[in-house]
Amino acid sequence: MKRYELLVVGAGPAGLSAAIEAARLGMKVAVFDENSRPGGQLFKQIHKFFGSKEHKAKIRGYRIGAELLSEAERLGVEVHLNAVVTGIFEFMEINVMENGELCHYKGNAVLVAAGARENMIPFEGWTLPGVIGAGAAQTMMNLHGVRPGQRVLMVGSGNVGLVVSYQLLQAGIQVAAIIDAAPQVGGYGVHASKVARTGVPFLLSHTIIKAEGTERVTGAVIAKVDEKFRPIAGTEQHFDVDTICMAVGLSPMSQLLAMAGCRMEERRGTVPVLNEYGETSVAGIFAAGDVAGIEEASSAMLTGRIAGTAIARKLGYLDEETFSGEYQALKEALSRLHEGMFSPENRGRRDLTETDEGIPLSQSLLKNGYIEKEELTRFPGVVKQKGIHPVIECTQNIPCNPCQDACKFGCIAVGSRITKLPEVAKDSRCTGCGMCVASCSGQAIFLVNEDYDETGASVTLPYEFFPYPKAGERGLALGRDGRPVCEAEVISVKSSPVMDQTALLTIRVPKEMAMTARFYRAKEG
Amino acid sequence: MEMEMRINEHPILGVIEKGRLVHFTLDGADMEGYEGEPIAAALRAAGVMTHRHTVKRGEPRGIFCAIGRCTDCVMVVNGKPNVRTCVTPLEEGMKVQTQYGKTAKEQTK
Amino acid sequence: MSIYLDRSRSIGEFVPEPDDGLIICRCEEITKGEIRQAVHEGMWTMTEVKRFLRAGMGLCQGQTCGRIVKGIIAKELGLEAAELPGNVDRAPARPIELTILGNEGEQ
Repeated sequence: MKRYELLVVGAGPAGLSAAIEAARLGMKVAVFDENSRPGGQLFKQIHKFFGSKEHKAKIRGYRIGAELLSEAERLGVEVHLNAVVTGIFEFMEINVMENGELCHYKGNAVLVAAGARENMIPFEGWTLPGVIGAGAAQTMMNLHGVRPGQRVLMVGSGNVGLVVSYQLLQAGIQVAAIIDAAPQVGGYGVHASKVARTGVPFLLSHTIIKAEGTERVTGAVIAKVDEKFRPIAGTEQHFDVDTICMAVGLSPMSQLLAMAGCRMEERRGTVPVLNEYGETSVAGIFAAGDVAGIEEASSAMLTGRIAGTAIARKLGYLDEETFSGEYQALKEALSRLHEGMFSPENRGRRDLTETDEGIPLSQSLLKNGYIEKEELTRFPGVVKQKGIHPVIECTQNIPCNPCQDACKFGCIAVGSRITKLPEVAKDSRCTGCGMCVASCSGQAIFLVNEDYDETGASVTLPYEFFPYPKAGERGLALGRDGRPVCEAEVISVKSSPVMDQTALLTIRVPKEMAMTARFYRAKEG
Repeated sequence: MEMEMRINEHPILGVIEKGRLVHFTLDGADMEGYEGEPIAAALRAAGVMTHRHTVKRGEPRGIFCAIGRCTDCVMVVNGKPNVRTCVTPLEEGMKVQTQYGKTAKEQTK
Repeated sequence: MSIYLDRSRSIGEFVPEPDDGLIICRCEEITKGEIRQAVHEGMWTMTEVKRFLRAGMGLCQGQTCGRIVKGIIAKELGLEAAELPGNVDRAPARPIELTILGNEGEQ
């Protein structure tokens, strides 16, 4: 029987964050993960995170994972990989299957941070090779460097569906369409826009009917649904795809907690009943991260830290006063993430029509995945100015503010409430450095210069695809809906280490297209 | 147009590190892959979609969850059935066979 | 979520539906129709359906089909899925080979 002070199940963002807090205060901590790599979802996430600096905004998920891991190791946390926790028993004992043996560990506290698993919806042909979870696509592409297929239909428009669709495009895979039975896009508008501008159509109020093929997927059939989500006969559409990706939600993997006798409740999945410090109804057993309720990695890191700090206090490693101060700070950081249009209490709401500022939301963004040009000028990030200036097409209240910090010339303001829509200063002293374009995790900032030359305007956009276009080449500019709008000439493609793999692509388009051209595609042949 | 299934250079991740090239067999046929990557990754890179046929209906199954949870990708590896190929690292000389029901079919080569 | 269901309640006759042939439990190849029919034969909980049909007893131990099976049973009973008790979670949380179970690690 090996003894530790804290045993953590799951080496994802919540588990590692908790382990770091506990180890930092001097506790002996062991973390167990059934995978061969730690970091949970973090290593699959190649996009820049939202939030603010304290939430590690602007940093790509996999870098955050590497940071957490090295910090944990530096503090002496033992991370056991390929270690499957098979049960939690009385008196804080856990059984772990590792190296072909069954090992027993005992702790003074146990934190379960086992995360969540993907939901599935069955449909005709769903067992065919080629139907995979969205997480499976991410794992194959980002961890193993293998393409899951050549042409994909994405089912589900929540953040997972949107983010994975973009990742498929980055891996050089075609996305035939994103469908969702709901009448509006479930995830962040900015995640949808960056996919829509490449030409991927969004089909809301549509469901998957069938996967075609005998040995593997060769096609998909979808149909429109009515308000009760029933398929409407005669509305079937066919897609030639070899892969169907399912991104239809996540469910907490809370079995270990139920097994240990914790009181559970149904709240979008079976979750443990927790007090404000993350402790379950069984003294000494805590839970943090997605296993306690589906959110994201940013919140998981904070709930992990809260639990780690509370455990330290429970075991006498923190006095009440210090604990109180730290807990308050963490709680406030967490509450800053729980605001805005996508906060936990707003989850699933379809009746929101305005931003906090009272600006009507873009209905086109919700129904089609892109903003209509006419809707733009309502938003404070969209201004008309002489010379080069940022145009921020950020139209929903999401806790996020890297754009404000990115501009050294004070052109962009978000303010202390980070869900506020960013504003571009009326007399901005923009030098065209492009840092804002590269820093926006939603890829929603562009540099526009309607006075580039006699007849042309320049548009600088964030570009994260290979191959990079070449200066001087001619191609097509695409609108927000991904349709070609005019010819474009590539002026420059710039990338610098500080922009972390986001290239700045500047194209020249006819003046009147300055507020329409939002993506670029090289001509065929 | 046939696409190379391995991502050689990724716009964000750059060159994804791999172990050394190793050889293994699939139902007797010679295959290549990288040491340490999941067997399923090497198979997918080679264009293999079917890992097994089910017990009752003999229907083809392949990668579904890719994280060792759904067990649809199991194959007979070095004689042992029900091996989850998406979480089992590839080794030099591995003998991988399509699983039919609960065992490997007789090799007809 | 009570484990006591009023079984004197009538849930009507089994009415075949066009998607009864849809496979729900991928591991054991059990269809929607089989599950629905099991409910009409008196299996009103996940545990009963599991033991009657083996839905959720295959290699993945219900990780893929569990939520879907619960929804089907609930719909057949005219209940919300949250009102039905789930399967009882018992150790081992993941499938474990007997050779490993019997191989106690060095202490």
